[in-house]
Amino acid sequence: MVKIGKTTINPTKIVCLGRNYLDHIKETNAPVPTEPVFFVKTLNTLVTDNEPIVYPKILYESEKYNRVDHEVELAFIIFQTCKNISADVAFDYIQGYTIFLDMTARTMQKSDRNINLPWYRSKNFDSFGPIGPRIVPCSEISDPHNLSIQLKVNGQIRQSSNTKHMLFKIPQTLEYLSKFVTLKRGDIIATGTPSGISPIQPGDVIEASIEKIGTITHEVILEHV
Amino acid sequence: MDHIEETKLEVPKEPVLFPKTLNCLISDGEPIIYPNWIFNNRKYKRVDYEVELAFVIKDKCKYVKANKAYDHILGYTIFNDITARKIQVKDIASRLPWFRSKALDTFGPIGPRIVEHREIGDPHNLKIELKLNGEIKQSSNTKHLLFKIPELLENITQFFTMEPGDIVATGTPSGIGPIKPGDILEASIEKIGTLSNKVVLEEVVT
Repeated sequence: MVKIGKTTINPTKIVCLGRNYLDHIKETNAPVPTEPVFFVKTLNTLVTDNEPIVYPKILYESEKYNRVDHEVELAFIIFQTCKNISADVAFDYIQGYTIFLDMTARTMQKSDRNINLPWYRSKNFDSFGPIGPRIVPCSEISDPHNLSIQLKVNGQIRQSSNTKHMLFKIPQTLEYLSKFVTLKRGDIIATGTPSGISPIQPGDVIEASIEKIGTITHEVILEHV
Repeated sequence: MDHIEETKLEVPKEPVLFPKTLNCLISDGEPIIYPNWIFNNRKYKRVDYEVELAFVIKDKCKYVKANKAYDHILGYTIFNDITARKIQVKDIASRLPWFRSKALDTFGPIGPRIVEHREIGDPHNLKIELKLNGEIKQSSNTKHLLFKIPELLENITQFFTMEPGDIVATGTPSGIGPIKPGDILEASIEKIGTLSNKVVLEEVVT
């Protein structure tokens, strides 16, 4: 259970799209995907607006792994159980939209990927999934593919784009994803990040904003073990 | 170790972890649904069984030391990590996440019961076996686990907080192979029992 603004949701999973903005694909030198690239984040990652992002000490003290990046994303919340749905009815299955921050231990992700390992450890540290500040119903966002999306670190803009640059749009994404898995009410789907990803440090303040939704603010703190 | 050799992978220095989502879970006697679109796709048509010993977490925990690991384990059960093998091989070759191949509905049979730690004694000395239509396909012993359960829990709780009821599957021995609709899978582990699941082809309502 997680309370996002006035709404409490009970997600069973968080599914994220990787490589869904062309500018971000270029900055990471990744190939342009022909099908959506999905990975999972686990529920231990979720924190809400104003809760701290905890920088894990094992990353901070590791020369090899000391890099954690922000990735601002538009997320949508599933309204009702669905499987094998077609793109033209996708919006019937969406409760609303929110902001998601896909925090990523970047050098760990690269090192795992280079030896053909799953993208798991690097994405799923506790507090690596800030979400909020509220869920905006579909009725208030007529076109989710025309929203400015931005991220500031200590007041300075690092990511600035528009959801119109998404490679796979929300209806296609939901059609494709629901071929694989049954989605349940409250499940969270994050739609990928634009370019401008960069490292954060303990003490940083991150503000992630999407037009018509608002801003989530998180301070990064070093974990006390 | 035997499964690492059969897949020609390098011996890992640290545990290789990936998540399965809750939509995978079915219990003893429930059917494994073979997705229609995979069945009808020449490139992707291969789904495999993988019998595994799983343990279930007792309480919320983080930074568990190996010597305290068993304090946080409720018990043991059998898990069948059903895998769309050709999708996985393709995704691994492209250095993509293992999500699509692992997280399909019903691809995580579990059961038939949770056996408490005190009844098991040593979880690293249990026969583990999988039969396909009555024929033994996987046959090993949990003593061949590369990372033992205490080390594994210490490793994963460096990264993640575990919650009561969380399921950790410990990997499969050699002998993995494909299934097809109509097959009966029987996964057995000594002192736990047998988990039986029939494979059925997904019916798509059009």
